[in-house]
Amino acid sequence: MSKKVSKPGSISRRRLLATAGAALAATPLGVKLVQGQQTPIRIGMSMPQTGGLAGGGKASLLGIEIWRDDVNAKGGLLGGRKIELVVYDDKSSASETPAIYSKLIDVDKVDLLFAPYATVPTAPIMPMVKQRGLLLIGNFSFQVNSKVGHDMWFNNAPWGPADSWATSFLDIGQRAGGKSMALLAADQEFAQNLAKTAREVAAKRNLPIVFDQAYPPNTVEFSSIIRALKAAKPDIVYVASYPPDSAGILRAVNEIGIGDNVKVFGGGMVGLQFGAVMENMGSLLNGVVNYNTWLPEKSMYFEGTKEFFDKYTKRAVEAKIDPLGYYLAPFGYASGQLIEQAINAAGSLEQKALAKYLRENTHKTIVGSIAFSPDGERKETAVLQAQFRGVVDKNMEQFRSSGRQVILFPENLKSGELVAPFEAARK
Amino acid sequence: MTRNSIAFWTGATVFLVAVFVMTQVVGNQYPFFAGYVILQFIALAVAWSILGGYAGYVNFGTSAFFGVGVYAAVFLVKAFSAPLPLQILAGAAIGALMGFALGLLTLRMQGIFFSIATIALTIIIETTITNWRYVGGAAGIQIQRPAVTAPFDNYVQMLFFVQALLVVLAVAISRYIQNSWIGRGLQALRDDELAAECTGVPTLRLKLLACVISGALMCAVGAPTAMYLQYADPASAFNLNYSVTTLAMSLIGGTAHWSGPIIGAILLGTTQQLLTVTISSEINVLVLGLMLVLFVVGAPEGIIGLIRKLRDGRKEGEV
Repeated sequence: MSKKVSKPGSISRRRLLATAGAALAATPLGVKLVQGQQTPIRIGMSMPQTGGLAGGGKASLLGIEIWRDDVNAKGGLLGGRKIELVVYDDKSSASETPAIYSKLIDVDKVDLLFAPYATVPTAPIMPMVKQRGLLLIGNFSFQVNSKVGHDMWFNNAPWGPADSWATSFLDIGQRAGGKSMALLAADQEFAQNLAKTAREVAAKRNLPIVFDQAYPPNTVEFSSIIRALKAAKPDIVYVASYPPDSAGILRAVNEIGIGDNVKVFGGGMVGLQFGAVMENMGSLLNGVVNYNTWLPEKSMYFEGTKEFFDKYTKRAVEAKIDPLGYYLAPFGYASGQLIEQAINAAGSLEQKALAKYLRENTHKTIVGSIAFSPDGERKETAVLQAQFRGVVDKNMEQFRSSGRQVILFPENLKSGELVAPFEAARK
Repeated sequence: MTRNSIAFWTGATVFLVAVFVMTQVVGNQYPFFAGYVILQFIALAVAWSILGGYAGYVNFGTSAFFGVGVYAAVFLVKAFSAPLPLQILAGAAIGALMGFALGLLTLRMQGIFFSIATIALTIIIETTITNWRYVGGAAGIQIQRPAVTAPFDNYVQMLFFVQALLVVLAVAISRYIQNSWIGRGLQALRDDELAAECTGVPTLRLKLLACVISGALMCAVGAPTAMYLQYADPASAFNLNYSVTTLAMSLIGGTAHWSGPIIGAILLGTTQQLLTVTISSEINVLVLGLMLVLFVVGAPEGIIGLIRKLRDGRKEGEV
């Protein structure tokens, strides 16, 4: 006599099937099968997380991540599809990005692409996305599309037309009575681009350049250069420098002085936007008029800006990155907002439809309204020129309050008037 | 032709045919992008090893040669819209001249002093290019690829095949040197330059030859990079990373045999590509560092040395 006995603890076939089915349904794959359309929207990008651009890259990425979390908390896009980021480290290098973006497109098959932070890692992928007809949201690169001419490129940076940067600074200088200018620029990609446009604008305005000097990257001692600059007696001093040299230049100016005829000093000094550098420089910053992208002045708060910085400030401490995060992080969030609005309007992820929407509309973001010109840069520049005032030494928190960096340009965001000459403003 | 040579050339032909078939069959672009970088490092490591391994002159100037190759191509494209083969040939010619100059340096400098001089070479050339506005200067330069040549239907696939050809060329030269009087002479001068000179080895001639060949190959490998990236800037083209990685690949693989750098480059190059798209954070730098330390401690003569040691040990056991 045979009788099927099921031992305690053993599993019948039916039960096994039922358990396996339940387990499958509980896995991510199962969720996809059960819910049908609910696959996430995958956005691929590389981001400098090691190397020279890592500090900016990480802050920018955190901005994008906060947007992702906000959207996912609201239930996602296109009827419940969550956002998923696929991010690789490009080591701040141009030679890494072609392979990474090929992986994102051909292997990971992401739905949308964001560009890495900065010009150098972005430049090699421009021809690739153009050839394949893909939408790319740029991230603070400078005139990277001018030669490529890709019509589905949209830069989140507030740069605007190439010459607007020099134009705004020279406007401020000339209004203060400046009749000649000096140009001091690092021999590096971004600084040289700025210097080039400054020369062109000065030539157009018949503004004589009485001093024009490029210095090699990693220069630390600037006293001889500043002495030579001072001897040329310029009215406007336009500086395009990188973080370590920005500090060196301001120290040399502090020791040697720059002369009473200088009305404005600064313009394109990279580094003076980052919390740690500003804290370090302290009172040396006073009087400098420099570019920026976002500042805690009243005119800069739009819908969602305050909430964003509340979240950023908390998460930046955990991530050990720039505690202020004014320069890049809100623009990372804005990149997300741009794509979010385009997806909502197009009702799909079709790249051409998204690009068409982005090109033809004005978009509301936490960094203000954004509209694009045909080359994918901002229609109008929103680069701020702001003057440091009343900064004291070794205090990070002071930069969170308004009035420390008074916005002089653009007109609609202005929060004060220039104090000139530079020597008077330093005190 | 010896049996060994027949095996080598058969292997090389099979490799090239496989690469060619891959470019015709595989539609996905990623393997070509990643594969190009790995092949580039194999060729660099093999070229480095001709001077650094056989002759024992540790050259930190790989990035100088590589960068000059890149900018030779950029210049030719901008000035004459030169085709790819011409870019590579011109790169090789300039590299040979640079190698000759480097070889003259070895007249007076040996060991650590030579290595430091090669780093200085990188800095001098990078500064020069940084100040040369015609090729973009510090701001870098974007260049457009011309139309692709048949039978390839994609430029990156073509570059992948071209780089494979360069690898075969570099390996064949390296293998020839090792097995000929040049290799024996270089080995003699690596062991003791003075003794070699005294026994009639033409040390200067050999060193110059090694420098010229190594330099020409490195520059030739750099030339297609301009078209691969479609962009060049001094900081990326002369990145010290090329020097360090190439050196690490040769050392990990072992410099005593021509196959050492190939093994090292495949191992390290593949690991780097995999880490970039898997871990992708500061940790991948750490993993590479740890690998280096492990090999330096565990296998000071590289993987080739390790294999030899194991084989010798087994033979002794049998006896």
